Amino acid sequence: MKSLRTDRLLLVLVVGGYLLLWGPIIVLGIFSFNSSAFGVKWESLTAKWYVELFQTSAIMDSVVRSLLIASVTTMVATGIGTIAGYGLFKYKFAGRRFLRLSILLPITVPYVIMAGALLVYFTQIIHVPLGYPTIIIAHISFSAPLAVFVTLGRMQRIDWSLEEASIDLGADRLTTWRKVTIPLLLPAIFASAVLIFPWSFNDFTITYFVAGVGTTTLPLYLYSMLQYSLKPVLINAISLIFIITPTIGILVLSYFQREKQFTR
Amino acid sequence: MQEQARLPCVEIRNLVKKFPGVIAVNHINLKVKHGEVFSLLGPSGCGKTTTLRILAGLETADEGEVLIEGEVINDVPPYRRDCNLVFQNLALFPHMTVEENLAYGLERKRVPKSEIRKRVGEMLEFMQLNGMESRYTVQLSGGQQQRVALGRSLVLKPKLLLLDEPLAALDRKLRKDMQVELKRIQKEVGITFFYVTHDQKVALAISDTIAVMREGKLEQVASPEEIYDTPRTRFVADFMGATNIFPGKVIARGGGEIQLETESGLKIVALADKASNNKTITGVCVHPERINVLPTGPDVETENQFNGRIVGMIYQGDFVELKIHLLSRKKDVSVTAHLDARLSRKDSFAVGQEVTIQWDRDGSSTLHG
Repeated sequence: MKSLRTDRLLLVLVVGGYLLLWGPIIVLGIFSFNSSAFGVKWESLTAKWYVELFQTSAIMDSVVRSLLIASVTTMVATGIGTIAGYGLFKYKFAGRRFLRLSILLPITVPYVIMAGALLVYFTQIIHVPLGYPTIIIAHISFSAPLAVFVTLGRMQRIDWSLEEASIDLGADRLTTWRKVTIPLLLPAIFASAVLIFPWSFNDFTITYFVAGVGTTTLPLYLYSMLQYSLKPVLINAISLIFIITPTIGILVLSYFQREKQFTR
Repeated sequence: MQEQARLPCVEIRNLVKKFPGVIAVNHINLKVKHGEVFSLLGPSGCGKTTTLRILAGLETADEGEVLIEGEVINDVPPYRRDCNLVFQNLALFPHMTVEENLAYGLERKRVPKSEIRKRVGEMLEFMQLNGMESRYTVQLSGGQQQRVALGRSLVLKPKLLLLDEPLAALDRKLRKDMQVELKRIQKEVGITFFYVTHDQKVALAISDTIAVMREGKLEQVASPEEIYDTPRTRFVADFMGATNIFPGKVIARGGGEIQLETESGLKIVALADKASNNKTITGVCVHPERINVLPTGPDVETENQFNGRIVGMIYQGDFVELKIHLLSRKKDVSVTAHLDARLSRKDSFAVGQEVTIQWDRDGSSTLHG
């Protein structure tokens, strides 16, 4: 028999863990409707910060920039990662294990070190002016391994005789890729994209190093606001928007995912 | 057309396939006639699936030739070969409906849309899958999935259909039903079937010809009856369920019969088959159901009659399996006999009882290796 005490302890742990996860976000959300521009003291309910947010062009510009960078990064990194994962899984060649390890290892390198290395590389070795290209290249370099990682995980659960069946039924390699392999990998491709997009969108450390003048992304802008702005409460407002939007997105997607469960 | 009829549908010449550390297929030669069901039977790891995959083009041969209707196809890529494979796990596309699965091969061949629709419709009808066309394959029962897999290949009207134990995953009853179904389908479409299996019962039930394979080589190629009744080697005998194998030497021959003395000292009489000489005969095998078991009675010595004691009895439903130790032998000899459950009452024998066993000379078969 399970004791009542164990049950209660479990409940406390669950509620505690949940509060730890969502508490700060809830507080932040509530305070985004606080009319005081500073601090933690509640004054009165207002939505004016949201209005101001959309009227501050610097913020809107940085949002657009971040969305653009994250979109390009997601597309390119997911593509590279999926193809690399496929190659590493399917083809046997000398040095395959080494290659796999050397692609996955950079995930563990601290961002500051990675960022410094990229900065030196861009400015001192290949001499690319800092800006969109450097940010996107940097983002791809840290997010493509994630896609490889996700794809490799999925590959282990794929029934590869499906590819052979396709070839046997008269499809050449390319058609097989298009008609069978990609659809089978779609969950992995999708998972990679869902992982990489916010990763790129949120990245501060690496972007901080390799961004040039005029390519301030949202995280960089928020950071500077925190340091110098007269209205830190704006951060609360924008944060809430960026928490709620993906949450809704994920809820909608997971609903459709359940509707269309055909993969084993 | 006449030319075609004379050529075998499939011919394999001196086929060799090596994998690191093992020769999977070791100089195989075989011919498959048009319109027959040819089974390649053997235990797992004997090279049968490798042979099948070479036919499909999914593996390349190291040596030898594969011919379909007289044409060497070694270098033809799998997607241009006129033969299709039904996979062991069926490999139905999970992201496509039944209809899309059936149409997949036709679309690749760029068959006009209207004809695809017509042929897929006919196949749905033929496979009794009406009303299932827009379902995903995971929503189908095991038997329906089998039929989709078969239909997906048959709709292409290949010269040869390769089957890699597609019935292995089914439960016993469904497997039996599908055997009958498979045979009916094959008769109706008339396509040559090349069937790979480790299940001798399936092979016996559906084949016109069986080739028993062992460690990359063919042991015997013959009709099901021949393989079952007169297995040539000890391996084939054992694999076909003739569990009573008596290694021995011929000591006398004449009048269409031979006498053997087994290693354990039994004297056995068997039919002499013309093709062989005494030297090549290495023993005799007897199927368990060919052995008569009688309560020990009058000492009338007939041929192949021995006394023994029942040491084990297993009830199997339609038959009773008896394990019998033969008495007073230099070496222990045990014999397995199957009693038809209808003909013998369960309680007519008991463990520990002394009995007499006997079999007729035509119930045994001589072995050659």
